[in-house]
Amino acid sequence: MTAAVETSALGKRYGRRWALTDCTLSVPRGRVVGLVGPNGAGKSTLMHLAVGLLRPSAGTISVLGGDPGSGSAQLARVGFLAQDSPTYARLTVGQHLQMGQWLNLTWDSDFAASRIDQLGLDLNQRAGTLSGGQRAQLALTLAVAKRPELLMLDEPVAALDPLARREFLQTLMEVVAVRGVSVVLSSHLIADLERVCDYLVVLVAGQVALIGEVDELLACHHRLTGSRRDPLRIPANQLVIEESHAEKQSTLLVRTQDPILDPSWAVSSVTLDDLVLAYMRQARDAAAKSPECGLVVAR
Amino acid sequence: MTRFAWLQSRTQTLIAAALLATVAVAAAITGVQLSHLYSSLVAHCSSGCDLAIGQFLSHDTFMQQALEILARAVPVLLGIFWGAPLLAREFESGTYRLAWTQGVTRPRWLLTKLAVGGLATLTVAGVLTLTITWWYRAHDKLGTTAYAVFDRRDIAPVAYALFAFASGALIGAIARRTVPAMAATLGVFVFARVAMSAWIRPHLLTPIHETLSLQGAGPDAPVHLGLGFSNGGPLRVFAQGDGPPNSWALSSHLIDGAGHQVSSGQMAAFFHQHCPNVNLQPPPSPTGPGMVRGTAAGPGRACLAQVAETFRVLVTYQPANRYWTFQWLETGIFVALALAAVGACYWWVTRRTN
Repeated sequence: MTAAVETSALGKRYGRRWALTDCTLSVPRGRVVGLVGPNGAGKSTLMHLAVGLLRPSAGTISVLGGDPGSGSAQLARVGFLAQDSPTYARLTVGQHLQMGQWLNLTWDSDFAASRIDQLGLDLNQRAGTLSGGQRAQLALTLAVAKRPELLMLDEPVAALDPLARREFLQTLMEVVAVRGVSVVLSSHLIADLERVCDYLVVLVAGQVALIGEVDELLACHHRLTGSRRDPLRIPANQLVIEESHAEKQSTLLVRTQDPILDPSWAVSSVTLDDLVLAYMRQARDAAAKSPECGLVVAR
Repeated sequence: MTRFAWLQSRTQTLIAAALLATVAVAAAITGVQLSHLYSSLVAHCSSGCDLAIGQFLSHDTFMQQALEILARAVPVLLGIFWGAPLLAREFESGTYRLAWTQGVTRPRWLLTKLAVGGLATLTVAGVLTLTITWWYRAHDKLGTTAYAVFDRRDIAPVAYALFAFASGALIGAIARRTVPAMAATLGVFVFARVAMSAWIRPHLLTPIHETLSLQGAGPDAPVHLGLGFSNGGPLRVFAQGDGPPNSWALSSHLIDGAGHQVSSGQMAAFFHQHCPNVNLQPPPSPTGPGMVRGTAAGPGRACLAQVAETFRVLVTYQPANRYWTFQWLETGIFVALALAAVGACYWWVTRRTN
């Protein structure tokens, strides 16, 4: 089966500024993929390239095996919820559903109607008067009712309050469960994604810093605490991601498939939050140390 | 996509249609009154026709002014309020990201929006211009020349409106912000109209040159002649030829026997030789232009007679029977400009906006 999103040396330039450089990644289908990275990492640019709003300046991108800008057949396969959930302020909720029906051949009007009903939205209310949470729900309904194979959500909850955030993600999980749709959603906050994602891509300055299944990633990373020692003496099968040394104590975050055998280490598990932050720091430091290797520091 | 483009523009189109209907009804009622007035006052007049015509022309000046303002303003207003926001608002509010990720391709989205808006523009401008042309039919017949109201009658205003709409859409796509796009649309429209009427239209067809004798000049003759001062300068000859009735006079120059335009030095020499008794410098007290009328008795009169004998006037004009050629040329040029703007807009939205 082809990947949901596959890129090769993908780059995007605005004028003279590169928003994304040399990005190569492959995201599988059938997952809820979290795309995490600091602001300016190129998440939105990557999303826009994947839905055909932008065309690459360099490299290639294929989505569900097709070219994102190739026409209406490809458009029908991908649902997109843009950042800040844009809607037409002067059109009503009902008119938005009408738009979906007119502009999409595969529109599921029963789903859309029942969804709006469950959300308790008034069909005659103008979208401009909806709360941020309601607007996001409306936009999500539009994106899902076109029956896409892949749903891409760009920072869907960034602007929402905690309650609306929770309700939105709840709706999303219901939809995923019922529809079996692949999802890619981006956020700069891992906490938003932790509850819903089973696959993770950490993007820093356009480069993949970490990619993999959430469960596997958590299983192969360990936090080691023990008396201070030289990190060079760590076994070769343990990759040190992050280290901190106090006067008498060292704390390491290591990646390894094998069990930790050294009994002098106190081994604890890591949270997804710790993991993402460690990789972001590592990628940022690497970029700062060697600016000539093609990485662009986020501006 | 057509239904959605209509849904988006429905409110503004219906408001415009309601306003247009109001204007049309007002024009119809007053227009019928005008017809009666025309047939009772002007059509059968045998004596004192000038008075009757004057009475007719000064009737219902409110409606006259209102329609003239509408004829001038509506094309550019359509560009500002329909053309400029058409795409600018989608970019400004970010809704283009919603629209372009539905099942409709970007070219179809764009062309449908332009077509629906363009058709509404065509209809509104068409009905309005038709109404105004009809309302003014008797006035225009009595007026001096059809060219004087060239850009407010018949078909040219419809082309202006189409150009305003299309250029507004293009500017909106480039500017991506509604208010600056509206301002720029106004600027571009005014520039295009001024450039057309001042620099291009007079030269679209080779004008006719006609040399007129100054003998027999007078208020009712096609040539007018006088002596006078302007802006404190020395004495000069004012000679003006009109060209045939209903024609569009472009210029009129005093020429000598060899057909060359008379220079001020030549004129001064002429005055010295032939008008020794005429005061060549302006009177000191009254500022501004003063005229020594050709009808005045004394040395001025003799001098003018000498002028009329020596010089002639060269009139350059476009004849009345070219009116419709100019209308079609003007329409063709602005429609072509509108199509060029649509093409540029297509290129910008589908190729550049990536």
